[in-house]
Amino acid sequence: MPVSGIVVRCLDGCADAVAGRIATFEGVEVHGVLPDGQIVAVVEAGTVQGEVDIVSQLHDVKDVITVQLAYHNFEDL
Amino acid sequence: MGLSRRDFLKATAAAAAFAAAGAAVLKPKVSEAADGEIKWDKAPCRFCGTGCGVLVGVKDGKIVATKGDPEAPVNKGLNCIKGYFLSKILYGKDRLTKPLIRKGGKMVESSWEEAMTLIASKFKESIEKHGPDSVAIYGSGQWTVFEGYAASKLFKGGIGTNNVEPNARLCMASAVTGFMTTFASDEPMGCYDDLDLGDTYFLWGANMAECHPVLFSRLIDNRLKNPNVKIIDFGTRRTRTSQMADKYIRFNPQTDLALLNAIAHVIVKEKLYDENFIKSHVVFKKGKTNIGYGLEDKFQFVDDPKPITFDEYTEFLKTYTPEYVAKLSGVPAATIVEMARLYADKDRKVTSLWTMGFNQHTRGTWANNLAYNVHLLTGKICKPGENPMSLTGQPSACGTTREVGTFTHRLPADMMVANPEHRAIAEKIWGIPAGKIPAKPTYNATEMFRALDRGDIKVVWTQVTNPFQSLPNLNRYRKGARKGDGRFVIVSDMYPTKSTEVADVILPSASWVEKEGVFGNAERRTQQWYKMVEPPGEARNDLSQTIDLAVRLGHGGLFPYKYVEKEMWEEYRKFNEGQGKDLAPYETYTKARGLRWPVVNGKETLYRYAEGYDPYVKAGEGIKFYKNKKDGGKAVIWARPYEPAAEVPDKSYPFWLCTGRVLEHWHTGTMTGRVPELKRAYPAAVCEMHPDDAKKLGIKNLQKVKISSRRGTITLPVSLDGRGKAEKGNIFVAFFDETKLINELCIDAYCPISGEPDYKKCAVKVEKA
Repeated sequence: MPVSGIVVRCLDGCADAVAGRIATFEGVEVHGVLPDGQIVAVVEAGTVQGEVDIVSQLHDVKDVITVQLAYHNFEDL
Repeated sequence: MGLSRRDFLKATAAAAAFAAAGAAVLKPKVSEAADGEIKWDKAPCRFCGTGCGVLVGVKDGKIVATKGDPEAPVNKGLNCIKGYFLSKILYGKDRLTKPLIRKGGKMVESSWEEAMTLIASKFKESIEKHGPDSVAIYGSGQWTVFEGYAASKLFKGGIGTNNVEPNARLCMASAVTGFMTTFASDEPMGCYDDLDLGDTYFLWGANMAECHPVLFSRLIDNRLKNPNVKIIDFGTRRTRTSQMADKYIRFNPQTDLALLNAIAHVIVKEKLYDENFIKSHVVFKKGKTNIGYGLEDKFQFVDDPKPITFDEYTEFLKTYTPEYVAKLSGVPAATIVEMARLYADKDRKVTSLWTMGFNQHTRGTWANNLAYNVHLLTGKICKPGENPMSLTGQPSACGTTREVGTFTHRLPADMMVANPEHRAIAEKIWGIPAGKIPAKPTYNATEMFRALDRGDIKVVWTQVTNPFQSLPNLNRYRKGARKGDGRFVIVSDMYPTKSTEVADVILPSASWVEKEGVFGNAERRTQQWYKMVEPPGEARNDLSQTIDLAVRLGHGGLFPYKYVEKEMWEEYRKFNEGQGKDLAPYETYTKARGLRWPVVNGKETLYRYAEGYDPYVKAGEGIKFYKNKKDGGKAVIWARPYEPAAEVPDKSYPFWLCTGRVLEHWHTGTMTGRVPELKRAYPAAVCEMHPDDAKKLGIKNLQKVKISSRRGTITLPVSLDGRGKAEKGNIFVAFFDETKLINELCIDAYCPISGEPDYKKCAVKVEKA
């Protein structure tokens, strides 16, 4: 199963609320919210297809500005 | 320990994300254990012109992981969503692995020997019968520096034809002519640091949030740290960028020319300009007007620049009152005045950013000139955080096509084939007889495929690009390629495309880290990478393909290298030495995360033309546009008028059509579309339309519509509430979808100065399907 580490940037003051919203997505584990409002999460899905679907949806979550990819491992594919 | 390998991987992923986010979290030992078997090496990203750094993880000869490179200054450890596909693009199921030759209407597998023998025989036959200008090579801003250099050297210096063009003619050519006419040197004075250091950003028709997401994140980070930062989005379509901007200003297509002149009008009228800067660093000029649209085959245009005074320039601007331009553009006069004052505010550091909106424009060169005018009037240029910045769409549009000069009229380092001194320099470096390089440029990209259609070009080889999907007025050129009568099309690619469909020979190519390469990004950063994995099957890199042809045509002596890439680099950089475009020795780039040229004594240059940054500017000179020798080291403010688009909506075709990219796909989709994942995220092209327009036509969301121009028709579902939102009277369609060739509808009108077609404006009608 591919796994990726992502960083979510959201509107000022919205980090905790956004972290709550994205934590409800299946396949998303929120690992922390930094003091500057960036959210670190791990995404996993059965396929890269699943991962991208999730990240695409995260882009459209309320108050999310950007979703960026820090690490991607797909050696099990 | 009770931790599974899966837990290790997740810990690694989280640690990398924390590190990239700048958190002081130590990398857990468990993640190092998980990572241990993977060998990592650096490469620039394969997609857009941003030039993000990637660490590529290889295990057992296969790429198994990627990371945003934490040491890469461009992206500091983070990639955009396309990072998911960097490695997967190499492993698509339909990857081309054997040469294919058209036999009896079918593509049949062949050996390299058979394919290259056939190709060489076609080249020889055509050159013998019709002369060297009957053969051509068409490459791209995805060519590595080496691939572009080899193509240029073989065709211009060996075969003796200037029939060398890149697809960058379709995306960056207006930026080149903009830089050349204003500063006499291509590429920006500023760099991406401006995204962090400025406080006022004008985006002109650039949807950075989707097309340059990593750079847009830097802008947003800047704003989060500094509440004074303002982002102004001038656009003809409401995008994800507009949502994030402090102000979105909608304007009517083509009226950017008038708006920039109106902003200059206000700056001059209210005396907001920097008089000292203008006196020291600027001259004024005008050129020809009513310059045409390049719609006729073999269109020719030569500008006739004439010096003018500041008073004459002021007189020229008089037409562009905020009130007049408000009527033309749809932007309220008060907003125009407000924006002019913002541009000129002495307490603000202003950066302008643009890309295809200005460049793919029948007055693209002018649009670039006019953007520079505003920065030159206000003196907001060549300073940290204050620069005009033209962004690029391909990973080496700058490094290869512009710097190596793989256009018909160019040679490396801004040199021109029409200049006898430049030809002599190239002939000396290349070790070829004087007079070998032809003095006359031949065809720009559009004209090259017109020539193929007419039969003036017989043999064309395309590498790393997909012209038979990406050209405007596509029907003509697709048909032209299959007209027979000696025409022969060779396509080198990694996957089947709309271009391989019309090919006589298809050559399977290596891609990205399957070969060694160098790319140059939009901020003058040159980045090198090594080959990390083997290409599949018999695929070969395009560089070796070109050299193979050279040998077969008797030009093997042009490529006498043992370590091809390193020796070719050392030869190439001779062109740049002392030209304000200096490059470092090859070894330097093998270690650095890229360096911004000119690199002199191992030191990169953040701001060109600026004392203290650019080694070519002497102490006491402050700012010096030293490349523009003919104007005494000054830059040019151009009087360039508003002129209408080549085709405007009318009763029969009442809508503007604009084409472009979306976040999840890149260009013609041959790499991103290959991957089923991306297709699912944004599966097929849609027609973005304003709900009021749809209502008038009785069209509902997702209902299919027939879109027609004077050149073609396609059917697409309508999107009334997607990520991008069309303005009234406009529709937008992305061009990645090979099953819906929107470019068949586009007009092949181009900027007479740059030769770049306008994909952003033509007239269409929309009907229920």
